[in-house]
Amino acid sequence: MAKWGMVIDLEKCTGCQACTIACGMENSRLPGEHWQDVIFFQEGEYPNAEIKWFPRPCMHCENPSCVAVCPVRATYKAEDGQVLIDWERCIGCKYCMIACPYGVRFYTEEKATYGGPNMKDVFKSEDAHSWSPPWKMPQEDWKHGVGVQPHDVVSKCTFCFHRVSKAPKGTVDFDPQNPATREYTPACVVTCSPGARFFGDLSNPNSEVNRQIAYKNGVRLLDHLGNKPQVYYLTGEGGSVPATRSLKKI
Amino acid sequence: MSDSLFNPKLTRRRFLQATGVAGAAGSIGLGSQLISVQKAQAEAPTTTGQTVVTKSFCHQCPARCGIDVYTTNGRIHAIYGTLDNPLSNGKLCPKGHYGVYLTYDADRIKGPMKRTNPKKGRNEDPKFVPISWDEALDIVAGRLNALREKGESHRFATLTGRGWGYSDVGLLTEFGKLYGTPNYNLGHSSMCSDASETVKHIMDGHHAYSAYDYANTNYLLVFGAGFLEAFRPFNPNMQKWGLMRSKSPKTKVTVVDVHLNTTGSSADRLLLVKPGRDGALALAMAHVILTEGLWDKHFVGDFVDGINRFKTGAAIPLTVNQEDVDAWKAAKAEAAAKKDAAAQKAAEEKVKMLAEIDKLKKAVKEAKGDAKAALEKKLAEALKKQDEADAKAKLIAEQRAMLEKDRKPEPVPVVGQPLFQEKWTHGLIEWWNIELKDRTPEWAEEISGVSAKDIITVAREFATTKPAVALFERGASAHTNGVYNGMAIHALNALTGNMFAKGGLRGYQMKTAWAKLPIKVEDYQDDYAKDGPWKKQPRIDMVKTKKWPLAKNMMQEIAINHLKGEPYKLDTAIIYMTGAVFSGPDCTKWEEMWREVFVIDTSPFPGETNRFADLILPDHTYLERLQIADTYPYEGYPISMIRTPAIKPLYDTKVFGDVIIEIGKRIKGPTAEYYKKIDNTENIIKWMCEGFKEKPGDNGVVDFETFKQKGVWYRKPYAYLQKDGVFYEWDGKGYNKILTAAEVKEKVMPTPTGKFELKVTELEHHADYVQERFGLPAERAPFPQWVEPRHGGNGDLHFVSPKLAGQAEGRSANLPHVTAMIQPVQGGKREVFLEIHPEAAAKRGIRDGDIVKIKNKIGEIRVRARVTHTTRPDTVVLPMIHGHWAQGRWAEAKDRLPSGSTNEVTENLSEPLSGLACYHSGLVSVERV
Repeated sequence: MAKWGMVIDLEKCTGCQACTIACGMENSRLPGEHWQDVIFFQEGEYPNAEIKWFPRPCMHCENPSCVAVCPVRATYKAEDGQVLIDWERCIGCKYCMIACPYGVRFYTEEKATYGGPNMKDVFKSEDAHSWSPPWKMPQEDWKHGVGVQPHDVVSKCTFCFHRVSKAPKGTVDFDPQNPATREYTPACVVTCSPGARFFGDLSNPNSEVNRQIAYKNGVRLLDHLGNKPQVYYLTGEGGSVPATRSLKKI
Repeated sequence: MSDSLFNPKLTRRRFLQATGVAGAAGSIGLGSQLISVQKAQAEAPTTTGQTVVTKSFCHQCPARCGIDVYTTNGRIHAIYGTLDNPLSNGKLCPKGHYGVYLTYDADRIKGPMKRTNPKKGRNEDPKFVPISWDEALDIVAGRLNALREKGESHRFATLTGRGWGYSDVGLLTEFGKLYGTPNYNLGHSSMCSDASETVKHIMDGHHAYSAYDYANTNYLLVFGAGFLEAFRPFNPNMQKWGLMRSKSPKTKVTVVDVHLNTTGSSADRLLLVKPGRDGALALAMAHVILTEGLWDKHFVGDFVDGINRFKTGAAIPLTVNQEDVDAWKAAKAEAAAKKDAAAQKAAEEKVKMLAEIDKLKKAVKEAKGDAKAALEKKLAEALKKQDEADAKAKLIAEQRAMLEKDRKPEPVPVVGQPLFQEKWTHGLIEWWNIELKDRTPEWAEEISGVSAKDIITVAREFATTKPAVALFERGASAHTNGVYNGMAIHALNALTGNMFAKGGLRGYQMKTAWAKLPIKVEDYQDDYAKDGPWKKQPRIDMVKTKKWPLAKNMMQEIAINHLKGEPYKLDTAIIYMTGAVFSGPDCTKWEEMWREVFVIDTSPFPGETNRFADLILPDHTYLERLQIADTYPYEGYPISMIRTPAIKPLYDTKVFGDVIIEIGKRIKGPTAEYYKKIDNTENIIKWMCEGFKEKPGDNGVVDFETFKQKGVWYRKPYAYLQKDGVFYEWDGKGYNKILTAAEVKEKVMPTPTGKFELKVTELEHHADYVQERFGLPAERAPFPQWVEPRHGGNGDLHFVSPKLAGQAEGRSANLPHVTAMIQPVQGGKREVFLEIHPEAAAKRGIRDGDIVKIKNKIGEIRVRARVTHTTRPDTVVLPMIHGHWAQGRWAEAKDRLPSGSTNEVTENLSEPLSGLACYHSGLVSVERV
């Protein structure tokens, strides 16, 4: 059993949102349904104002608030540490969306923000799916929240379950530059140009993710809440993560 | 019921049946129940079909990153960077992934069409009807043949945006020669970044973008380039950013810009400069570098006597005078006297020491008992001290002798010779005297609004942190003084010895080993082509005439010239990958022009141009194409890439290169023969790849087939290197071959002087033109200097329209996936906002989120205001992505703001030397609606 975790180095992150777009493409997300969002905020005053940002996937918490509140056990903690949603069970009550302190969950029937025709109408589904874009991913696994979802369910980052779960047993580090592990690595990690993201096994003390956390003082978002995220941030000099306060997203 | 809720075996369907509740949202109750029946069938994980990976390269910016296109069951569903591609290295920027959405854009054009509504206008429905390719091509050829018969073939033009190389836009050169038009390829570069190419061209001899060695640089000084948003090649730049910011030593970054963006926020220092004043900063930095003696002596050279005469306000004689010689002699004499005095002092000390020893020896002889022992000890100490002193003196003498042996004879100043011996630069002292000596940091503070203290600090850091790179783009150069700004910035690279250096400005793009086609255009030119009346006609954009003697293209002038009929009016135009109706300054002029011209649009997507089109000959989208291209300048070594179709074309489209060939086949005379021989672009590409047989790629690419497999051909390394003022050439093993000055001039710095020209020969030649356009005296023309920018439009606020990180070339406005994440810094989800400073907003009664009017004498657009501390109080910022009125259902969404293109409030002003449109020089007023 592994304990999958992610490390995001904010000193390298350029705020380009390639992770957001790659995730949406890989997982057939609706426009604006940013499983992997980048949260921007501004502080200070001219001329010494700051723009700050941090990418925010699902934290895949050790103590997930969402699992605790789900009335139908649709949201669950999987064997290898991911928090997943079973779309077979989800009733779309959104309790989990309210419980999640990180705001990483999306309801399928949310109103579109982007303007113009609704993509769900343009690429209408003929079956149970909520829509059917021509570019939809070939994998489908509703038990693990993978694929184009049905109507009325909640969805979120799966740590690219459909890629990671195919990795050979015993894989510790998912290095996108290594052809042997590249295809199993989460989309956001694969595409990240400055190499700000790492994915691997937190339960293995020798893993790259643990090395990064130890060397560069990894911190977790809103750590005081006790959710124990499995996503760590390296803040270095360049970045900042609001570890102790909640932030209003712009 | 509570039991069943927590019964893990209960499926959702059963739960719904048991409770009669249909989703907590409750809105689609029945639908949910029906759906859940089918859900059971999708329960098990499935993957359908075999996934195929095709090599291609990206289309969303000029960088051309290699991509792997993932296709399953004939559908593209993913795009990732190619791992063994030196540009993408397996990575992509956000835009790299857009291909899936672009291919399946629901607004795509499905085949050739012709207009049936003769009335043209923004709000006129063209009433397109589908036609066959044959009919469409015959219409084009009919018009072209008719023009030729009338002797008016120059009235046919092709306007091009992003070209990909010889298999598309490259074909137009031959077409022009065979058909007979000077307007065969009216490029868009003057509406892009021509100023940076012009600066490099006139100063170091390369009309090109530079290759930078970011991986090894320790200091990055960025002027108006949006390094982490818009500067190309974006993806490799970000890869290098990750390295620069985590290597040891960490690369220090200073950014000069007019507003705070992600680049400025990521940097170590942001200097918020007044728009168009970047050159003043760079001049003051050069002033500091010289007065503080921080210039690179190996590359630039030095005063013959090593005495720094760069003193603020003081002119320097060009040649050595008697005073210099006397001063040098006096200094030499003083040094010699000092040396003599020191030697004498040492000799005296030795005598004293020896006398002391003698005295002690005598005393030892005479002394007895305890006193003797003490004296003996003292003597031993004195002898030891003497021995040590002798040994030290000997060692110093030996070392001095060694140094003397290798010492080159010191230059002796001779009256009448240059006082400063320049090595690889040309004109430094003249530049100092005419411009730099008064360009103090305090002066620059007045002009630019950046504090003198910051200017001095950055100048010192830049000059003393080696290697370093100073780069600039449109923030600094899209102004009426843009080339002079750029020259001042580029000069910093030379002053600090970073030209062609490891970790510096590494060089320029080397060429790919393509094979030349075995067919000669000259053999197929008829008399008309060789000597028809078209030969006497200038290009419609008046490039290379007295009007624009130095510019490469002047697309923004075409509409004005056409409307005036000067030099003539166009009759027929093919438009490829460009849309000046939206993207040209003062863009509405183009609407008037296109009303009068037979417009042939080639875009596979709707757009503003196509609303005025008479004929549409839709291109394949990029993942459907077979196409080749050379890299955008990156690290200097040659890289070329190929697009292999990932899917069969979805619609009845034809690749642009083949459209040109098909038109050629229909031109009367030998032209048709030429194009029948070539037949199609695939033949061309296959033939060109033959060149790889002789020069295989580092990745083993030797022909067309291996090229398709790998997607890229490249050969490392870059051929030249400058180190400590010596130029080397790669000899196959290392940078071992030292280049002579003549070789440097031929191969590395092909300027008229073979030097980095701080006094630009080309501008000396065009001094009259400079005088006419800038009002500068002829003797000032050739030097980097401060020229006051002229601002277009009118109003009390500067207006800039930058490009965002997520903005792809041309087509991203119609992609909802892009709109939903664009301008994240200001919270964009649907529209882009006008950044306005709280003070500026308060003065105008504007609150955050208000709809405001931006207006000036050119036009007026509406947009939503974002009151923010991220911009200067005198500058408003609006990204240029949205405001389309004919680009598709999403781009044109109801109530989408801004209401129009940023170019509807951008005056058509051009920088006179490069012709670059001054997109960032405008003034506007802003008021609440």
